Amino acid sequence: MAYGWNNVFGLALIPLCTALAVYLIFAKDSPDTPPAKSLSQYLAILKDKDAWWFMFFYSVTFGGFVGLASSLTIYFNDLYALGPVKAGYCTAACVFAGSLVRPIGGLIADRVGGIRTLLTMYSLAAIMLVIMSFGQPTYVMALIVIIPTMAMLGMGNGAVFQLVPQRFRKEIGVMTGLVGMAGGVGGFYLAASLGYFKQNTGSYQMGLLIFAGLAILATVGLMGVKTRWRTTWGSSAVTAARV
Amino acid sequence: MPLQFDIGQSSLTGPRDRNEDYVGIVTPESEQLSIKGALIAVADGVSGNAGGGEAAEMTVRTISADYYATPDTWQPHTALDKVLTAANRWVQSQANANRDMAGMATTLSLLVLRGQRYYSAHVGDTRIYLLRENVLKQLTTDHVWDRPDMRHVLKRAIGLDAHLTADFGEGNLQAGDIFALLSDGVWDSLGEQVIHAGLAKFDTPKLVAEYLTETALKKGSLDNSTAVIVKINTIGKESLSDLIAGGKQLNVPPKLIINEILDDFEVAEIVHESRASLLYKVKNIYTNQLFVLKTLQPLLANDLDSCNGLLNEEWLSKRVVSQYIPQILPLSTEKRTKLYYVMSWHEGATLQQRLDNGHHFTVAGTAKIGIELMRGLSALHRLSIIHRDIKPANIHMASDQRLRILDLGVAYSKNVGKFEGALNQANKQSSNPGTPSFMAPELFDGIEASEQSDIYAAGVTLYHLLSRKYPHGEIEPFQHPKFGEPTAITRYRPDIPAWLDNIIQKAVTADLSKRFETAEEMLLALEHGELKPLTAQRTPLIARAKLVKWQWIAIFSFIINILLLYLLLVS
Repeated sequence: MAYGWNNVFGLALIPLCTALAVYLIFAKDSPDTPPAKSLSQYLAILKDKDAWWFMFFYSVTFGGFVGLASSLTIYFNDLYALGPVKAGYCTAACVFAGSLVRPIGGLIADRVGGIRTLLTMYSLAAIMLVIMSFGQPTYVMALIVIIPTMAMLGMGNGAVFQLVPQRFRKEIGVMTGLVGMAGGVGGFYLAASLGYFKQNTGSYQMGLLIFAGLAILATVGLMGVKTRWRTTWGSSAVTAARV
Repeated sequence: MPLQFDIGQSSLTGPRDRNEDYVGIVTPESEQLSIKGALIAVADGVSGNAGGGEAAEMTVRTISADYYATPDTWQPHTALDKVLTAANRWVQSQANANRDMAGMATTLSLLVLRGQRYYSAHVGDTRIYLLRENVLKQLTTDHVWDRPDMRHVLKRAIGLDAHLTADFGEGNLQAGDIFALLSDGVWDSLGEQVIHAGLAKFDTPKLVAEYLTETALKKGSLDNSTAVIVKINTIGKESLSDLIAGGKQLNVPPKLIINEILDDFEVAEIVHESRASLLYKVKNIYTNQLFVLKTLQPLLANDLDSCNGLLNEEWLSKRVVSQYIPQILPLSTEKRTKLYYVMSWHEGATLQQRLDNGHHFTVAGTAKIGIELMRGLSALHRLSIIHRDIKPANIHMASDQRLRILDLGVAYSKNVGKFEGALNQANKQSSNPGTPSFMAPELFDGIEASEQSDIYAAGVTLYHLLSRKYPHGEIEPFQHPKFGEPTAITRYRPDIPAWLDNIIQKAVTADLSKRFETAEEMLLALEHGELKPLTAQRTPLIARAKLVKWQWIAIFSFIINILLLYLLLVS
């Protein structure tokens, strides 16, 4: 039975309204909400170098993930002449793999360290992207390359968000917003650049190579962060202690 | 808001010739009250002849004076234990020296009230009662023989024995609590019911104390009757930062440039710059003497916790008078227009700077650093201060080869640095500050830093000096690693003798029960060195591999068995 695409939006309203109702009834503000900050206080975090780096890191991992996810259907369709349904399935497989491993990325980061995890993920993703840029003869071979790429980026997402809340404990609200935004921008960039190079050069290679270059830049940035982070963390508990 | 309470006392001689009970009450003001607390002591002298009253009086007098002379960083119980032991020794020596004082001893029950808690110390048969929400509770146990005819013979008392064992107790205070310190002349003849009724009879502690002692004598008490009643009005709610700042808020200075003058100091150079702090080498413009000025990064100007942290750091550093710690220049807050503190300047370099310059640390040199480091650490630990950030960057070796431990930025003293509210599990993990690679394994599980975690950090420091590696690998911030056996340092430096290897190994082991317990223990091991080497403790393979590995091996071989069985049936 077919509903037609505009009815799909109508059907989507059902869970949406349920969520709204539940939210209106049950949601309360946390009793220890931090006091509201002014916009300038929010933006003070941008004076911190780490904030910029993390926005960049996420724009590479999440941007790569989203960018590839939105371009893959066309990619499969274009390069391997797959029908829209089959191309959709292939894309879904890649996205699925990338999403499922996100918690694994967080877990690995917790155990062996976020920076170390990200270093591995970026280097592997860069290598895979370079391989991908040369094009694979069949779509199965393409899948063999793309699924691990998406998995690396997905685990990178998990690792970035293992670090962000702990590094920016006090500025967590604004930082998740900024980092998430950077991820969206990265996704827009990759999708747009893939299309741009395809149109102008006739191949995706240049777009993918530049993206691999960004991943390598991220590893260099991580090295700097790693050195800077070899320092004392946390503060003395004395300040809040009662005497 | 400081702790507020009322005290009333009464001491009656009764039918006896002399009053051998002695009461001591010390209620200091402001900072002293918050850090040391108020002390209330009741002693009941005992002796066949003259000495009882003297013993009681001298014990209470010395304790109430000496307690306030102990380091501010000691916890009340540590301080009380020290002064009680000293008082015990004094009473004993007096009894031994003078024939007419022979056999003198005294009971002692004392209460320290501080902030939100009370601390008690007790020997003998004077009692401390607590009336809270109309429930009367006896906080002490009488140290008397449990036989009907010996109910008044003391098992423990000050001056009775060369080795004093006192009972220590502590608990939270509540507004409205009433504490009663009663000598046996009072509680023995009154009984708990009368005491309970008496405590509730009047609002004024003085009247209650008088009522209890008078009633005790009326009921036929033959002993001296002493009662001290304390009523808690409001409990203390201030933090150390409130105290130090004294209500005055100093601002973080902007980043200073060379030759800029701040108050009495002219900046000579920037010594060190980290994420949170800035250190300048400065010159006093009047005396030309060199100092180090420590302040915060301007970025943290609005971060109240960091600002208070710097003041606390100064407060704590001031309490350490030792050649192993840079000394703080006493500057009152009125003299400063900005937030900073000043300490002594020493020519030289930190061990990290020496490492970065490619200095090769020899076995003898490292052992000597270890010995000095342990002396410095034990000086801190004797003051109940845990450094929490021992690492090459925080150890300074002056040009005259003297070692100094720098940066008490995350140090804490058990007396003032303790969170008294319960920490939940999520907070706990992140509550231990330090440099990850130098943090002891137990700190990652949220266990509070201790002397042993400082020793671990010192062990990693020595290991790092010798090999530039870490015994458990480099650990990143926000990582929650698993710790196994440390890598033997001889893997990187085969020239290191077994005795030093064993000492470092014992300092950096993840197992708390196998690590050195005190800095002095490790100091002794380093001093003995080759002459009296430690025996190496190697963990057997079965313990090293942990159970889970054997389980995996079992599962694996089980799968192979099935496979072989399948092949057998197929063929």
